[in-house]
Amino acid sequence: MKTPFVPPDPIKVIQELGELNRKLIKGASTLTGVDDIDVGTAPKELVYEEDKLKLYHYKQEGKVTCRVPVLIVYALVNRQYMLDLQPDRSIVRNLLQHGMDLYIIDWGYPTKADMYLTLDDYINGYLNNCVDHIRKTTKNDRINLMGICQGGTFSGIYSALYPQKVKNLVTLVAPFDFSTNDGLLFNWAKHMNVDALVDAYRVIPGDFLNAGFLMLMPFTLNIRKYVDMLDVIEDKEKLLNFLRMEKWIFDSPGQAGECLRQFIKDCYQENKLVKGELKVGDRVVDLKDITMPLLNIYASADHLVPPAATKPLNDLVGTADKTLYEFKGGHIGVFVGSKSQKELAPAISQWLHKRAGEETASRQTKASKGADRQEKNRKHRNS
Amino acid sequence: MEKTSDFFDTWLKSQETFIENWTATAKKLQESFLPPGGTGGKAPDIGGQGVFDLYNSWMTAVVGALKENGDSCLKIVKDTLSKTFSSSHAHTKLYEIWLPLAEAVRDNILNAESYKELIDPAKYKEIMDTVFGLTSARAISEYYDQAVRLMQTFGAAASGFVGPWTDAVEKGTKTFPQLAEGRPESLLNVFHAMFNAFDSTFGRAFHVPAVGKDREKIELLLRGLDDLSVYLAKNTEHQQMMYAAGLAAMEKVIETVAGNVRDGKEMTDFSEFFNLWIDVNEKAYYALFKTEPFSKLQGELLDSSLNVRKHFFKFMELYLYDFPIALRSEMDDLYKTMYELKKKVKGLEKEINKLSSQEAGL
Repeated sequence: MKTPFVPPDPIKVIQELGELNRKLIKGASTLTGVDDIDVGTAPKELVYEEDKLKLYHYKQEGKVTCRVPVLIVYALVNRQYMLDLQPDRSIVRNLLQHGMDLYIIDWGYPTKADMYLTLDDYINGYLNNCVDHIRKTTKNDRINLMGICQGGTFSGIYSALYPQKVKNLVTLVAPFDFSTNDGLLFNWAKHMNVDALVDAYRVIPGDFLNAGFLMLMPFTLNIRKYVDMLDVIEDKEKLLNFLRMEKWIFDSPGQAGECLRQFIKDCYQENKLVKGELKVGDRVVDLKDITMPLLNIYASADHLVPPAATKPLNDLVGTADKTLYEFKGGHIGVFVGSKSQKELAPAISQWLHKRAGEETASRQTKASKGADRQEKNRKHRNS
Repeated sequence: MEKTSDFFDTWLKSQETFIENWTATAKKLQESFLPPGGTGGKAPDIGGQGVFDLYNSWMTAVVGALKENGDSCLKIVKDTLSKTFSSSHAHTKLYEIWLPLAEAVRDNILNAESYKELIDPAKYKEIMDTVFGLTSARAISEYYDQAVRLMQTFGAAASGFVGPWTDAVEKGTKTFPQLAEGRPESLLNVFHAMFNAFDSTFGRAFHVPAVGKDREKIELLLRGLDDLSVYLAKNTEHQQMMYAAGLAAMEKVIETVAGNVRDGKEMTDFSEFFNLWIDVNEKAYYALFKTEPFSKLQGELLDSSLNVRKHFFKFMELYLYDFPIALRSEMDDLYKTMYELKKKVKGLEKEINKLSSQEAGL
């Protein structure tokens, strides 16, 4: 029988360790030469500010071909620049090239002064104010919402509460049905004493959440990733790509305690959104009130938000124009994978262009007047 | 080298290190109230030899230096460098483990059973600690030490009250040898017993209202230590579960390698072994993490750590009450007021804008 393995010859051992050290030292030298890690570089302008929230409008250097602006709503966890991580891996730049008019919310970094912010404040407050700002300044009665991950859940809730303000809804890897145990986070959250967590921290540190994310693939994310990185460390461009992703992963804002308390309890533990029992402010959210066209994108290999949490939305909404889109890849691949750039961004653009229709600026359409009436009636019913 | 099976089967005994330190802590605690006597025991350091020693000491120094504060480069670069060195350290540890296996393969003695004799369990534990950032007993002991130092502050003031309680400590200390052999919950029980003894005797005095903050402080501190022992028990249980899964995964790795050897498939280098090890472990831990008992235990572990934190904050509030600084509860009130006022102002602004628009439209 042939002897497998390289025999443990002492010289060989020293050589292999020496090689690892060589890479490490070279890597240390390359790494310490990095003085800036640029992310989110697509040109944009600050157009609205409220407390720690900032609303940016991306500069469109080409021609806007889709007249209805798109507001990108990212999750409270991690930062929105994931969508513009680097020029060649940027959904934002890609959508701009397809003639979209883009806005994005930066939720900021909550401090203890923000510990009492609730879901109501985020959705009926900040998000609604951003939508109103865009509606007013662009003279559009309704705008497109594109929500990502938890931002997709927020966008879905918002669209159900304010259908008269949303022309089309796009959700990407957004959880709605929390009853699944497919994802570890969903499983763990069910056993979490969130009251004790919030009472102890007030604002839950980003590091706490990150520890949970790293536990999803501990060996890959804590060991293999860095060992593999040594193979490309001498290539500055590849190293910068790696560092940009590292920066994003560990750039985790804290979570306002009261908001997280309600999100974990009502969604992860009691699945109230799907049951039609979630109350945001003084209103109950009924997903059937999502009456605008819906594009729901899920990732087939998503380990953070499994398809079982995403796909049911299409069965719960009130609209007949609904599209379920499968992206073959993982959660992060949706934003930065090369397939995402080639496939997903053009598909979103095409879907939105098709539905932008003849939405005319500065003119309130009959449809939105009707929706306004519906809204008034609903308020009356709720009161 | 200790046998793997022995190492993990008696892993709970490693808590002995902690208990030794804890004994020292208890002695210090007594010293804060009673005339000094005895010295604290320290856990022996385990040494090694050969090229790996040199490499490991160098690596430890580098990782330690990187973890310290400094402004030499961007934080993310520094963090990445630190993680890369830590990962390489784990990589090298695995290499150390792999070498005797490779020798066994060369000598045709590798099988799924013999590997237990070949793996250095202490090194393997170190890898798993790196992957999961598991807390060492020593770190918890340090926490106790700090608590004791605070306790000493009150020693003189409270010296008249300590008799029954130190008796309880003494009784508890006598049970430590049994603890080292037992289950983690026995530690918990001992501390509970001590606490109850204290609470039912000297502790009664604390429940008398308005007799001084110092006594409240001591009581809170003791409650904090009680919480800490609950946390420790949960943490031990959690770590035991993690190590057991790691060991089972390693067994599977070796089975795969031995199977490949039998089938005459070549495993040409260490990186192939490394990748196999990662993949098998990832699957094994995913299976563990998905179970109800693990999720439940993790929830309980978190809960117990939050209890420690809660008591610590209460204690600090009490301790800092007389100082001219804003306390956490006072800041909470302030934040609440700010939040409510902001909300009110925003609502009023919206009303004004609405009225202005209506007026302009008229």
